[in-house]
Order: sequence, then structure tokens, then C-alpha cells
Amino acid sequence: MTERYQIAELLVDMDTFGRTKAQAQHYRYDADGEADIVVKSNASSLKTEQPHLSDDDCEYISTGSNFYRQLLKFDGMVLHSSAVVVDGYAYLFTAHSGTGKSTHTKLWCKEFADKGAYILNDDKPALRLMDDGVFYAYGTPWSGKATYSPNRKVPLGGVCLLHRGAENKIRPCTAKEAIFFLLTQTSRPIGQMGNDKILTLLDKLLTKVPVWHLECNMEPEAAHVSYNAMSMKERNE
Amino acid sequence: MELKKGFIMRQVAGEYVVVNAGANVDLNGVITLNATAAALWTRLENPATMEELTQTLLAEFEVDEATAAQAAASFVEMLKERDLLA
Repeated sequence: MTERYQIAELLVDMDTFGRTKAQAQHYRYDADGEADIVVKSNASSLKTEQPHLSDDDCEYISTGSNFYRQLLKFDGMVLHSSAVVVDGYAYLFTAHSGTGKSTHTKLWCKEFADKGAYILNDDKPALRLMDDGVFYAYGTPWSGKATYSPNRKVPLGGVCLLHRGAENKIRPCTAKEAIFFLLTQTSRPIGQMGNDKILTLLDKLLTKVPVWHLECNMEPEAAHVSYNAMSMKERNE
Repeated sequence: MELKKGFIMRQVAGEYVVVNAGANVDLNGVITLNATAAALWTRLENPATMEELTQTLLAEFEVDEATAAQAAASFVEMLKERDLLA
């Protein structure tokens, strides 16, 4: 049965099941009118290509990639990252799978518990450039395994390319590094128009939002090193 | 000579970036270009001779003819190596 949701401030219609439906429960939304996005699942053909995946996983992956592809029409994109919120700003840590972005944001939650730190989305937050000229990060139903992602909108305070290192070091990222990396960690559209849109959006993102390059270990100090550099609160005060 | 169809070149955060948006070539990643290469790239979105490429550089940059011809030649060499020409 098709049900209506509100995700990243868009009206979304989706007919799904299993884990996808469960994680989307708190995005359910009763409103009339035409949907902005109708999510089309291609789970069965994904299952044919990747028979080792369960039907549930295929549905989850397929609905997510379809939603994020359509998000581009609304000045939005996905970033494969773990998003943590502190002081009213979202900070997104992106990395190749297995590098430990969730480990790092968990450290933030622990070290900055007194500042109310929480995970907005642990795998695929949505980003949108809104009419006020500000980039926002949003929780979505696609947040990794068994992770609660609240249906919230938080101004984006920074993006960080995370790498493992023996010591904790952070510096601003060059535009080149950011372009190469972010294009590998978002869902790349097909065709002229989609690619045009993603490059335009990326240009605005890199102009408006600080992007960082972090090398870190798993010690609590790592969280303090990244927070001290990235914190918009300290910057504004 | 001219570029294959299906690439997009854009300036992103001050960098010239090329992505494959459907061209028939094995390029999944991104190419970045400097200003000279970007000018040549734009010229090659339509057919151009080596002489015309050299002229493009002479018109847009303060270089002598020998340097321009050399830059055009090595850029075209790179395009051939990556199989980006039609």
C-alpha cells in the first residue's frame, strides 16, 4: 500500500515493506495534494544482480537510491556520511566505507553529551539548499542498520573528509580534494541534466559550507580536535 | 578533431571539472583542468584543427606562439591517451 511521508521537507509517496517501512514510520505524514516525489523501487532487478542480498536489503537500497536521485530536482543531494548535531549545527563526516565515520561521531556524542550532541543520520543524510540560501541536513529513513534518524532539519555547519591516522590533525580541504571526494560519496546522476545539477549544487556547497580534511585515531582527543576546528558556535562568538 | 559528446565541463569552487554524463568512454571519475586546458576543452566541443587550438590560446592568454602550439599539442596528446576524442 502506498503511504505518504514527509522527508527532507518534501511530500513523498512510497509503497514499501520490512526495514524500510519500519525506519520510515516516524516520517509518516497526512497531507493532501500531489506528492513531490513518488519513490519507485527496483528491488527485484537489484536482487537479480546481487543475489546474495536479502529482499529486505534490496528494497532498502533501491528505495534509497531512487529517493536521492529524485532529490536533485529539489536542490538536494545525499552525502554518504555520519551526521552529528551539536550546538544547533549538523557536522557531516564522510569517508570510504569501513574508515570509521560512525566511530568518530559516536565519540562526539560521548564527549559533547553536555552540549546535547546526537546523531541526525548515521549513513545517508539528505542535504538541501533552501530558499533562504542556507544548506540544511535532514534525517531520512535511510540511516544504516537499525539506526534511529530523527525527522529533523538542521543547518549544515561543516563537512569533513575523514581519514585514519596515528595522530589527530585537521586542516581546511582544498577545492580539488573536496570535489573528487564528494563526487564519490554522493549518488551520481545519469545524463546531462542531472550531472549539470549536481555540479551546480556542489559549487554552491563548497562556496557556502566549510569543508575539512581530518586524520584521526579513535581516542577521545580526536573528537576535540575536529570540534575545535569545525565548531560554528566558537566561530560565531 | 573534436571531443566525444556527453561530457560536462563546469567551474566548481574555482576549479574546472569534467564529468562523464553519458559519453562512450571508460571515465567514471572526474578530470580537473587548469585554465589553459579548459579553454582548449571548450574549443574542442566543436571541431577544431591544431592551428585553431593554438590561436585560441594566443587570443585568451599572454603566451608566444611556440608555447601555445606546444601546450595545444600536449593537451591533444592527453585527450588521445584517454580516448576522449570522437
